[in-house]
Amino acid sequence: MSSWYKSWILLTGFILFYVAYLLFGAFVFSTIERPVEDKLKRDIQVLKEEFLNQSCVNATSLENFLERVLQANKYGISILPNSSASSNWDLASSLFFANTLVTTVGYGHTTPLSDTGKAFSIFYALLGVPFTMLVLTACVQRLMHLVTYGPISMCRQKIGLEPLAATAVHFAILLLVVVLGFFVVPAVVFSYIEDTWSFLDAIYFCFITLCTIGLGDYVPGEKPGQNFRSLYKISVMVYLFVGLMMMYLVLRAFHRMADLHGLTSFFQLPHCDEDIEEDKEPIIEAGHEDQHEAEDSAKPLDPASQTSYNTINR
Amino acid sequence: MAAPDLVDPKSATHSSKPRRSFSAKSITLSPTEECQAIATVMKWKTVSAIFLLVVLYLVVGAAVFKALEQPHESAQRLAILTQKLDFLSTHSCVNHSQLEELVKQVVSAIRSGVNPAGTLTNHSSLWDLSSSFFFAGTVITTIGFGNISPHTEGGRIFCIIYALLGIPLFGFLLAGVGDQLGTIFGKATARVEKMFVQWDVSQTKIRVLSTVLFILFGCLLFVALPAAIFKHIEGWSALESLYFVVITLTTIGFGDFVAGGSEIEYLDYYKPVVWFWILVGLAYFAAVLSMIGDWLRVISKKTKEEVGEIRAHAAEWTANVSAEFKETRRRLSVEVYDKFQRAASIKSKMSSELGLNSDPELTPPKRKMSVNFTNELDREKEPVSPPVTNKNGSPFLNGKGVDPKRGDIAITPQVEVTTFNL
Repeated sequence: MSSWYKSWILLTGFILFYVAYLLFGAFVFSTIERPVEDKLKRDIQVLKEEFLNQSCVNATSLENFLERVLQANKYGISILPNSSASSNWDLASSLFFANTLVTTVGYGHTTPLSDTGKAFSIFYALLGVPFTMLVLTACVQRLMHLVTYGPISMCRQKIGLEPLAATAVHFAILLLVVVLGFFVVPAVVFSYIEDTWSFLDAIYFCFITLCTIGLGDYVPGEKPGQNFRSLYKISVMVYLFVGLMMMYLVLRAFHRMADLHGLTSFFQLPHCDEDIEEDKEPIIEAGHEDQHEAEDSAKPLDPASQTSYNTINR
Repeated sequence: MAAPDLVDPKSATHSSKPRRSFSAKSITLSPTEECQAIATVMKWKTVSAIFLLVVLYLVVGAAVFKALEQPHESAQRLAILTQKLDFLSTHSCVNHSQLEELVKQVVSAIRSGVNPAGTLTNHSSLWDLSSSFFFAGTVITTIGFGNISPHTEGGRIFCIIYALLGIPLFGFLLAGVGDQLGTIFGKATARVEKMFVQWDVSQTKIRVLSTVLFILFGCLLFVALPAAIFKHIEGWSALESLYFVVITLTTIGFGDFVAGGSEIEYLDYYKPVVWFWILVGLAYFAAVLSMIGDWLRVISKKTKEEVGEIRAHAAEWTANVSAEFKETRRRLSVEVYDKFQRAASIKSKMSSELGLNSDPELTPPKRKMSVNFTNELDREKEPVSPPVTNKNGSPFLNGKGVDPKRGDIAITPQVEVTTFNL
């Protein structure tokens, strides 16, 4: 009974800490962004007044017009002359949209307009999201053998490091490789192709995309008159997929490392679920693994014990 | 002569081996060395198969979306162009470039979250504390609506660092909430199961029933009820509210519909309640989606097993057929051989009667073999006794004296040996 009590206390502690974290973030965002927003408001007000002053348009008809324009813009349709003649729903863009739906990134730069489209999105997402998670975790499990277990055992044998130190070193190297290969290099490419993006914007985009947050303020390939638009969108899709896989890999490696260093059992968090048959070369000898397996079996019901929604391990 | 496999008693056992081993392979799943190698190869195949399936799924989805949305989009585009032309013609003092300049500014303002339509004086900020709290929440849960997003460089850098720390934090929280939900659910199902056990319902039915109940109850509490509330407060249609709920709880978060994002006057506790609902709803959706994932996995496993079973059956069938073929061949050759032996013995007997020397030393070893196999078959019908040699069809052997008898005695142990082996 006391361990159950303890877990409730830990949970409340977690929630409180989380709320505090959110408040902190809210405060910082507010202080940084609010002045900029106020200035923009003033600017746009001035613009509107100037426009109304020098023309015969009255306020109400302008409001109506603007409302319609903004409504259309919400759906991705622009009335500006050099807006691309290409549709937002040609095959490549629809594929891109389906991909953002299924990987839960969800930019929102194009959203389904029709009712049927919305209903279809619901079913498509409900089926497609677990499907994608399944594929990604399956790939990551296979990759773990290649990328994690192999090098670590090699590290231990050739250099003769302690197991714990070997995992830490390996994790650091993996993190460095992923950051360089999936954030820095793509950011350079994006800032080169998209001429309105700076390098910081591109890194921000890569990060927001690969964490599947997908705010949608930056979306590649939306520039009017983009060359090879379909090819570009499809390569961004591939980048998204592979990048997500690498992020899961890093997360999983981190989780295993935390397991081995005893952090997860300290915080009474769920352990890294690994299928026992597939786990052929444990990082540390069987002693540790048995301990974790025993603790694994003590977990409550299966459907509810996941690290995070995005890292469904099983 | 009939092949060495006739001579070798081991071959008799070889024929029965394949039968046993294939059926054993299909039942047990213990990872032996070769099973492991086969299993890893098959798994890569499975992964690539699933990958191709996902790509196919995406392409199908793209085609359907295109078919559904493109006509609507063209209609919208036409409408707005007509609007523009109307406006320009009604208000002749405005020229093209001025209007476009205005629209461009307005659109970028909208992107920054400032809505220039309507009076701006009483417009609440998008970055007041409660909205920033909401934004921070959308970043950490990775929903990322996008109706609010940071525009300053400092804001973006902070956003990156904030998300790096916050997402794992939220992940742990979600795991904790999910665990508690799971425990509560487990206790509830245990009580329900106790009730049903009294009524003598089978275990599997109870499990299925409890899963269905879980899904229904959760849907009611986390999907249907909030959708109804949103419909009432935000003024969306039923489909739009449901669409918003699903898109939010799967963390896709398009941002075309955002609870608390419109111009309506909201109650003070509305946004925090929405945030709390998102937290618990995410845990529920994680459970449901992992269940769907498990079903897909079970289906793929079952398909693999069935394919494996079909393969095992096919291999078993081929092994049986070849074994029977061998058996038939052996019987045929034995019969042929036996007839030859009888002919030879008749010939030797006749020649001995005629005073010619027969060579009994040559034949006994071979006779041993032939008698072995025929006797083995006959053993099933009759009890063991030396007179069994009568079945060979040559009564002369009995009367012949020591030689056949010698052969006789020498034969029987061998017969026993082979039957033992078989």
